[in-house]
Amino acid sequence: MEWLIAEACGSFPYLLRLILEGLLIGVIYSLMALGLTLIFSVLNIVSFSHGEFYMIGGYVVYTVLHHFKQVPGLVAVFLAAVVTFLIGAVFERLFLQPMAKGQVDRPNEYAILVTFGLAFVLQFVMLGLMGPFPKKVPRFFSFPEIDLGFLRTTRTTLFLGKIPLPGSRIFAAIIALIALGAMLYFMYRTWTGWALQAVSQDRNAAAVVGINPLNMNTLAFALGGMLAGLAGAVLVSVFSWVPWVGVPASAKSFVIIVLGGMGSIPGSLVGGLILGVVESLGTGCWPNPATAQAYRDVFGLVIFALVLLVKPTGLFGRKL
Amino acid sequence: MSRNGVLELEIRNVVKNFGGLQALKGVSLTIRGSQLVGLIGPNGAGKTTLTNIITGLLKPTSGEVWFNGERIDTLRPYHIARRGIGRTFQVTRAFRRMTVLENMLTPGIVKHPYMSRAELEKKAMEIMKFLTIDHLRFERAGSLSGGQQKLLELARLLMLDPDLIILDEPFAGVHPKLQRTIYNYIKRVREQGKAIILISHDMESIFTLSERLVVLNFGEIIADGPPEEVKNDPAVIEAYLGRDEEEEEDLRQAY
Repeated sequence: MEWLIAEACGSFPYLLRLILEGLLIGVIYSLMALGLTLIFSVLNIVSFSHGEFYMIGGYVVYTVLHHFKQVPGLVAVFLAAVVTFLIGAVFERLFLQPMAKGQVDRPNEYAILVTFGLAFVLQFVMLGLMGPFPKKVPRFFSFPEIDLGFLRTTRTTLFLGKIPLPGSRIFAAIIALIALGAMLYFMYRTWTGWALQAVSQDRNAAAVVGINPLNMNTLAFALGGMLAGLAGAVLVSVFSWVPWVGVPASAKSFVIIVLGGMGSIPGSLVGGLILGVVESLGTGCWPNPATAQAYRDVFGLVIFALVLLVKPTGLFGRKL
Repeated sequence: MSRNGVLELEIRNVVKNFGGLQALKGVSLTIRGSQLVGLIGPNGAGKTTLTNIITGLLKPTSGEVWFNGERIDTLRPYHIARRGIGRTFQVTRAFRRMTVLENMLTPGIVKHPYMSRAELEKKAMEIMKFLTIDHLRFERAGSLSGGQQKLLELARLLMLDPDLIILDEPFAGVHPKLQRTIYNYIKRVREQGKAIILISHDMESIFTLSERLVVLNFGEIIADGPPEEVKNDPAVIEAYLGRDEEEEEDLRQAY
C-alpha cells in the first residue's frame, strides 16, 4: 500500500496533506454549490450568474480592505454577504419575477438568457471599475503562535505533525463551515426555511396555505447569491482576483450540483468535498508537476462524467 | 366574514377557457352562511376548475368571485388563503420531505405570526390528535400512507382557521376506517360554524352530509338545491347519474 502511495504521490504525509487541502477548498465549493442548489430548488432555474456573485464578493472585500485598512477582514466579509444578497434580491424582483408571475412566454429560455445577461453585466461593470489586472488581498487572518507538539502554528501556517496547511485557506474554510451551519439551521429549523422547503416541494400547495412563493423566490435567489458572494469573499485572500474569476467557479458549482444530485442539499455538500479532494489529489499526484495545475479542472470533470455514467441522477438525486 | 357577520361566497358568471375548450360556461353560485354544499358532476364537468378559480390557482377568463364583500378573483392564492378560504387537493399534496409537525406549523405561523411556538404546537397537536395522526408528528410526510397524508392535509388546513373549506375528493382511495375519521372531521368542522364545499364521488357520504347539492355538467350548473330534490331532478339523472346504473343504485340506496 505504502509503495502504491509512494509511486503515485510521493509519501503518505504528502497524500494526507493533499486530502486535507482538498477538504479545505471543498468546504468552500460546497458553500457555493449550496447557493446554486437553493436557487434551483425554489425557482426551478439554473443561474448562470452564480460565478459573478462569487466575483463580486471578492471585490467587495478587496475594495473595503484597500480603502479602509483598519476595517477587520470579517467585517469586509460580512459586507460582501450583504452586497451580494441585495444584488440578488433586486435582480430577482426586477427580472425573474415576471417569469414567476407568468408574464413571460418561454420561462425556461428567459431564465437562461436573463441570468447570462446579468453575468455579462456584472463582469463588464467590474472590468470597468476595477480594471483587468489581478488584485490581491493581503491575508487578513493570522494564527497566534502555538506549539503543542503535534499541532503547531506560525503566523501563516498550521502544522499537523509535519503537514503544513495554509492559514488563509483554513480561515476561509472555517468561515464557510460557519456559513454552511447557519444556512442548514435556517433551512431546517426556522419557519422561513420551512416555507422555502414548502415552495420547493409544491409551489401551489404552499400558496394555498398562505405562503407567498414570490417572496420565497426573491429570498432564495438573494441567499443563493449571498452564499456565492461569501465563497468569493473568503477566497479573495487566497487567489488573485480578476473580473472573470467567477467563470471557472461557476463551472465547478454546476459540476457539484449534478454530481451530488440536482436540488439536493446533502448532495451539494458532499459533492463539494469530493470535488475538492479529487482536484487536490489529481493535481498533487500528476506525474509532471509542471503541467499538473493545467489539468486541475479535468480531474473533477472526469469524476463528473463517471458519476453521470453510473448514476445519472447524481449521488443524492432528489429535490431538497 | 362579510359586513353583516355572515360568510358569503359569490361566484358571478364565471367562464374559463383552456384554448378552444370551455371548462366553465358562466357559472354563478352563492354560498351564504355556514352551509355544507356538495359539488358533484361527472369527470370533466369543471368541479376542480371551479375550485382552482375560487382559491386563485386559476384566473377566470371572465366573471368575478367575491368573498365576504371583497373581490378575490384578482388576488393571488396566498392572499385568498389568508382571507379564510382553505382547500385540499384531489391528489394529496403534503410537503413530503418535511415532518408532519413541520407541515402543520408552516401554515400556522402564516396565520398566527404572533403566536408562540409552544402555543402553535399545542394547537397542532390538538388537531392531529383528533385526526389520529399525532403519533406520526416526527415522521416525514412522504413516508405516510395515502390515507394518512389525506388526514395530514385536512389537519394542515385547520391551522389556517379558514371560514370556508373546500374538500376535493377527501374520501378517495382512503381506508374505510380513515374514511370514518374524515367523516367525523367534516361533522366537527361544521359544528364550528365553517362553510364547506365538498366534492366527492362517494354518493353515500355526499348525500348524507350535504345540506345543499350543486351539480355541474360540461361547465354548467344543471341543478342546485336540497339533495332530495336534486336526486330526483331529471336533468341530473340524465346527465350524470343516469349514465351509470351502478352509481344510480348507490344513490338510491343512500336513502
